[in-house]
Amino acid sequence: MKKKITVEGMHCASCATNIERSLKKISGVESAKVSMMTRKAIIEADEKVTDEELKKAVARAGYKAISIE
Amino acid sequence: MNHKYHGETAEEKEIESWKKKLVWGWILVIPIILFMYILPFIFRIMILSEELMIWVSLVFAFPVMFVVGFSTLKSGFRGFTSFYFNMDSLIALGTVVAYFTGVGTLFFELQNYSGISAMIMIIFVTGKYIESKARGRAGQEIRKLLELGAKNARILRGKKEIEIPISEVKIGDVMIVKPGEKIPTDGTITKGESSVDESMVTGESLPVDKTKGSSVIGATINQDGVLYVKATKVGSDTFLAHIIDLVEEAQGSKVPIQKLADKITNIFVPSVLGLSVLTFIGWSIFGDFSSAFGASIAVLVISCPCALGLATPIALTVGSGMGAKRGILIRRGEAIQTMKNIKVVMFDKTGTITKGKPEVTNIEVSKGIKEKDFFEIAGSLEKLSEHPLSKNYTNLKSHKEVKSFKVLRGRGIEGTISNKKYIIGNKRLMEENKIKIKDFIKRIENLEGEGKTVMLLALEKDKKVLGLIAVADSVKEDSLKALNYLHKKGYYTVMITGDNERTAQAIAKEVGIKKVIANVLPEDKSEKVKELQAKNGENVAFVGDGINDAPALKQANVGIAMGTGTDIAIEAGDIVLTKGSLVGVCEAIELSKATFSKIKQNLFWAFAYNIVAIPLAVAGFLHPVIAEIAMALSSITVVGNANLLRRRKI
Repeated sequence: MKKKITVEGMHCASCATNIERSLKKISGVESAKVSMMTRKAIIEADEKVTDEELKKAVARAGYKAISIE
Repeated sequence: MNHKYHGETAEEKEIESWKKKLVWGWILVIPIILFMYILPFIFRIMILSEELMIWVSLVFAFPVMFVVGFSTLKSGFRGFTSFYFNMDSLIALGTVVAYFTGVGTLFFELQNYSGISAMIMIIFVTGKYIESKARGRAGQEIRKLLELGAKNARILRGKKEIEIPISEVKIGDVMIVKPGEKIPTDGTITKGESSVDESMVTGESLPVDKTKGSSVIGATINQDGVLYVKATKVGSDTFLAHIIDLVEEAQGSKVPIQKLADKITNIFVPSVLGLSVLTFIGWSIFGDFSSAFGASIAVLVISCPCALGLATPIALTVGSGMGAKRGILIRRGEAIQTMKNIKVVMFDKTGTITKGKPEVTNIEVSKGIKEKDFFEIAGSLEKLSEHPLSKNYTNLKSHKEVKSFKVLRGRGIEGTISNKKYIIGNKRLMEENKIKIKDFIKRIENLEGEGKTVMLLALEKDKKVLGLIAVADSVKEDSLKALNYLHKKGYYTVMITGDNERTAQAIAKEVGIKKVIANVLPEDKSEKVKELQAKNGENVAFVGDGINDAPALKQANVGIAMGTGTDIAIEAGDIVLTKGSLVGVCEAIELSKATFSKIKQNLFWAFAYNIVAIPLAVAGFLHPVIAEIAMALSSITVVGNANLLRRRKI
């Protein structure tokens, strides 16, 4: 399952790595790629990962997930 | 899928917010600079007593720090509780410590850095403003792509034309597109004729003629006539949506060379925090507290993970944006790095070097056979075949009923008409069926020598050839130009095809390819790539259509998938070319190399900066304000340098 998360508040390169690190901590997330250029995180995860968990992970790193598709 | 924001984009919002902070910040910082530095140090005027000066700096710096810098402090100190540090953490700690030295001076003998805190903050804000603008410029092509989609569509409901938002268009709706308007979404023309400018999506600069039955791409511009277009794809299934997905995904993909930079970025902020504490302790022991504060603040604010972390993605963004404009979609960042090692470029023949639209050039009927019968039998058999060669002679004649029809992979087809079994196919098929072709050999060889593919029609029972059909798939206009370019640059080129040796050689000769691998079944192409890799090393690029060649594209070190219009298999290939021209291959190679060298420059600069600057700050050689200016410049330089890529002629 592939998901695209639009993130608000990213403004530096370490922001992107923080979000990546936080998303990868969710069990079931296989890969997370975050681009501060497009302000999007693209993740590869299994079905049981919920949008809620993803939102929380983004928030844990200090940013806001605006939309998940 | 919604790529648009209300009013302004997230980017514009960010730039706007930095700008507001910048203006207010400078208004407050200028008096500090004036009273604390310019008047006393340059004009030797001391209008304020020393104690009053401390209060002035504390008061004027306060709003800069805690209003203008609020979001930076908030995001920075958050890191200390969540352990997700970012560069704000460095600035936040550095400026807050600096500010409170001002409070400290009221009680102890200490240098007052509170004015400095405001100056650091405002330089940081200014740097961020310039950087976000430059970043916006770096992403301009990609942003244009995101904003390309039409907003409304005029559709036919019954007899009435109504205008609806694009999100409400459904498959099957007939859209009316007037000259100069955007075609709202992918569809097929049901009425009308026009030429359509597809450059914004495919990079193809010439308008494409469209008529009833042609498929059109959403977001392209109708030029001359009114078109009635039946929507075939909407929302996230459209061609444009696929391209956008692909480009966005590529933005987050990693280039191997950045691995080290990423590793350092990950531990950068905590390491710098540690280093600054050590600097403070060191200076407190061997120097005094004032120098300890100065040096440790300088360490915090000079260290910039942004230059390191941005070096690769920013160059990748500019490069892929330039590509997208030209119909070159870089799917995986890794391809940019691998491209510089490529020495061998392997091309699929049909549809890549040639147009992929074979046309019948010769039909020769054996003596004693009626032309009418020949056409009827050949036409009826070929109509059932899905082989591309059959497509244009199904219109030959009327059709008879065919029984026990069979496709013989890589050889031809067979079928029974009026209880007689016929076969159509290549020489190999005839030989397998022991058909006497001796009289035709010379003629076949001649035709093949002209680059044509020859098929024979035979009656199985009499082992007799009834006639032959020759088809030719002509070479694309600029294939020769592209191959000449590659040869001049020293690439070794190879053509691979399922066609026979002689036909393949003729085509290869026309475009100047030296090495031909013929008679290869589609499923064996990736095997041939592997063989070439074993012989020449891991430096083989494969250029193919992405549909039949997917395994070969994957096997190659760089897979370049080609397509025209909507016929592209986006999932295959590291690089996807949306326009059908081979010149795109040359451009993709040049663009990859140019982008990669920018990445290297940026990484070199970012590493060099940090390696030189941080020790200088530790040693106390840099005033915190100078340190902050250096930091701001370092990330602006990286972004600016990436933008210079645009000057390169591709």
